[in-house]
Amino acid sequence: MRIETCYFCSSKIYPGHGMHFVRNDSKIFKFCRSKCHRAFKKKKNPRKVAWTKAYRKTAGKELSVDPSFEFEKRRNVPVKYDREFWMKSLEAIRKIDIIRQRRANHFVMQRLRKARELEIQHDVREVQRDMALIRSPAAGLKERRAQEEGIVEEVHESDDEMEVTNASEHLAEESDMEEALDSDEAPELVEVS
Amino acid sequence: MAVRVQFENNNEVGAFSKLTNSYCLVAIGGSENFYSVFEAELAETIPVIHASLAGCRIIGRMCVGNKNGLLVPNTTTDDELQHLRNSLPDKVKVQRVEERLSALGNVIACNDYVALVHPDLDKETEEILADVLQVEVFRQTVASNVLVGSYCSLSNRGGLVHPRTSIQDQDELSSLLQVPLVAGTINRGSEVVGAGMVVNDWCAFCGLDTTSTEISVIESVFKLNEATPAAITSEMRSSLIESMS
Repeated sequence: MRIETCYFCSSKIYPGHGMHFVRNDSKIFKFCRSKCHRAFKKKKNPRKVAWTKAYRKTAGKELSVDPSFEFEKRRNVPVKYDREFWMKSLEAIRKIDIIRQRRANHFVMQRLRKARELEIQHDVREVQRDMALIRSPAAGLKERRAQEEGIVEEVHESDDEMEVTNASEHLAEESDMEEALDSDEAPELVEVS
Repeated sequence: MAVRVQFENNNEVGAFSKLTNSYCLVAIGGSENFYSVFEAELAETIPVIHASLAGCRIIGRMCVGNKNGLLVPNTTTDDELQHLRNSLPDKVKVQRVEERLSALGNVIACNDYVALVHPDLDKETEEILADVLQVEVFRQTVASNVLVGSYCSLSNRGGLVHPRTSIQDQDELSSLLQVPLVAGTINRGSEVVGAGMVVNDWCAFCGLDTTSTEISVIESVFKLNEATPAAITSEMRSSLIESMS
């Protein structure tokens, strides 16, 4: 008894479940339940319906191209029964299944890691944009002007020390706001990774 | 020898059995009487296999084969395919074909060297056919009927075709097949020759209704009543006598 896969959602169809639809050109469509059959009757494309396996594969949500998928397929040329051979294939099936699962899990983890990166980038951008909420750019403007006029050289010399000791203090002192924010990025990235 | 046989009171034995030079398939679920007729004739030389295809008993119409191989339709289940593989001799290739016209026995007629096929058959199926059965393939009709497998019955020594096949058509077909052809009926006037009988190089089975005239036509065109020793005495006789004298 063959366990078929559903035409629409690619799930397994066990004996006694679902239905077959044979089209006029003798193509057979197998459905696991009425939900899939109804979707087919509505001419829904399984690649565009988010809950199907076909969608997940085309959208890159799951591992789709891998040599471990090549083993399981309908074969038209039978092989004569041989107990030894069957035992070996059974073992191989188990092994391949483990390997496939591992690869699929790895693929998913890679995908999630990408999301984490995006999240970090988003956070950084948010900090850059909304820095003004924490400290007004106009704060200490007068003092800075006075300093710039008086001792310009001294500020430039002490730049390196300032960065290491206190980034936020350095921020306020910088005349150019954006430059200061660039240096602000660095410590946060280090913390996360 | 041509033998009369019936499958559950049905004369269309070509539908319920498949006979080639290296194996014989019979449908499951018939009476023991049907099997014993085949086994009595064939069991000593070739295997007689009880089989079904896609859960159906009309195996003669579903599959096509010769001594080199057997093609079964895509509706055949894995179990049936495995059973056929296990029971057939190793040198017979078995393959399932993805063909829209799934009654392969109706759309293909073949002997061990040539096959006549339905004009609409897939290109891929034709290639598989040539490859597995090792035959030359011709797209033909028999008496302007596309179901060549139903309306003709072939062996390596002769062929029986639909009774309304014109003389020109017969000549054309026999030049393709390289065997003599005869137009005739089976089962007391039935036109579906392919479904009414099965034949290989030394033996034929036809429906119980077949008249003695039809039997004699079959025996003469398929050269069934010439046993091998008789052939030596009759056909080689003159040359033997010449060498002896």
